Amino acid sequence: MNLCEKLSIPSQVMVREVGDETVILDLASGTYYGLNTVGARIWKLVLERQSLIEVCDAMMDEYETTREEIERDVCTLMQALLDRKLVSVTA
Amino acid sequence: MLSFVPVLNWSLRPAASVVNTFTKMTLSSEPFHQWCLPDGTVWVSFFRSVAGYALTFPNIAHFHISKDGSSVTCDNAFDVATSTIEHLYLNQVVPLALGLQGKLIFHASAVETLAGAIAFMGVSGRGKSTLAASFAKSGNRFLTDDGLLLEKTINGYNVLPSHPSIRLWNDSREALVHKTATLAPPLQFTPKARILSDFALQFCDESRPLRRVYFLGDGSSPEISIKRMKASEALMALLSHSFLLDIEAHDVLAWHFDELTRLVELPIFFHLDYPRNYAELPQLRETILAHAANRKVDLNESL
Repeated sequence: MNLCEKLSIPSQVMVREVGDETVILDLASGTYYGLNTVGARIWKLVLERQSLIEVCDAMMDEYETTREEIERDVCTLMQALLDRKLVSVTA
Repeated sequence: MLSFVPVLNWSLRPAASVVNTFTKMTLSSEPFHQWCLPDGTVWVSFFRSVAGYALTFPNIAHFHISKDGSSVTCDNAFDVATSTIEHLYLNQVVPLALGLQGKLIFHASAVETLAGAIAFMGVSGRGKSTLAASFAKSGNRFLTDDGLLLEKTINGYNVLPSHPSIRLWNDSREALVHKTATLAPPLQFTPKARILSDFALQFCDESRPLRRVYFLGDGSSPEISIKRMKASEALMALLSHSFLLDIEAHDVLAWHFDELTRLVELPIFFHLDYPRNYAELPQLRETILAHAANRKVDLNESL
């Protein structure tokens, strides 16, 4: 996972915030997923920011942890989303 | 730190009601979906056709549902008893047809209480019918044994009544139903008995406002436990208990997802678990009734 990459949400993916969490529905497969509070925050930042580097910058301001851990967690989540085709890399 | 929780694939739930006409159908394509029993046996296969959908129950019957879910026909190709066909229609086909009509319908039972309707959702074998029968026997009339149909109102949602019968395994039947209860004719595919409502097992034939939805646990809890569910948990649980015929119909799926997102804004969804013991059903009923009425409940819960 390259932190410089920009991601977008494919048209077949529906996302809804419920409470402080997020539920993602992949219309193509009928499969759904839940993101906890932190995952939901990362997802929201991905939609708002230009790159994963900026997502990590924002997370550094909000969470008391190391940059290394944030980058690892952001990359792990984004790779999981990519693997399931819930996000795609913007060319 | 991060939790990414994949949830099981959307599961098709066969649903239910009465045959209108009988016509001959030809099925030629591969099924786009199948619903299997726990032992892997195919219970129903789903096909698309020019006019809508075809459902085939192996060695039992074929049903055809129009695209908009407004009409159902049956081909009794295997010459099974009419009672079996009617049962499949009511309990397997109708809910799927209602789903095509844009109705919110779930795999759940429901009973009437003074506080409103309370529903019990859960996978097969969790005790939905047993709870419904237990409540009905003690004076809380049942609204449905399966196929919970919700109708939006100004203040929330109403539960609509379905068929006035409850299906029970023999142990529940012996524990809960009087010996002279009226039984529907036996079904060819299951030893479950279908008990028709009567004076001792009363049916509520009017809609009631939805008060609570309890998702039934697996019975591992050593005592009665009621815990509020997060909205996201409730949303995913509702998705998995929905009657949806065609998960590849994106517009229907998207509409359903949005409707459920609105539904879970209500603070009415709870996880319920309890030891499976018939002798403790009275205490369980009282606890649930108290909880639904917001009376003090003596258990470890989070209201």
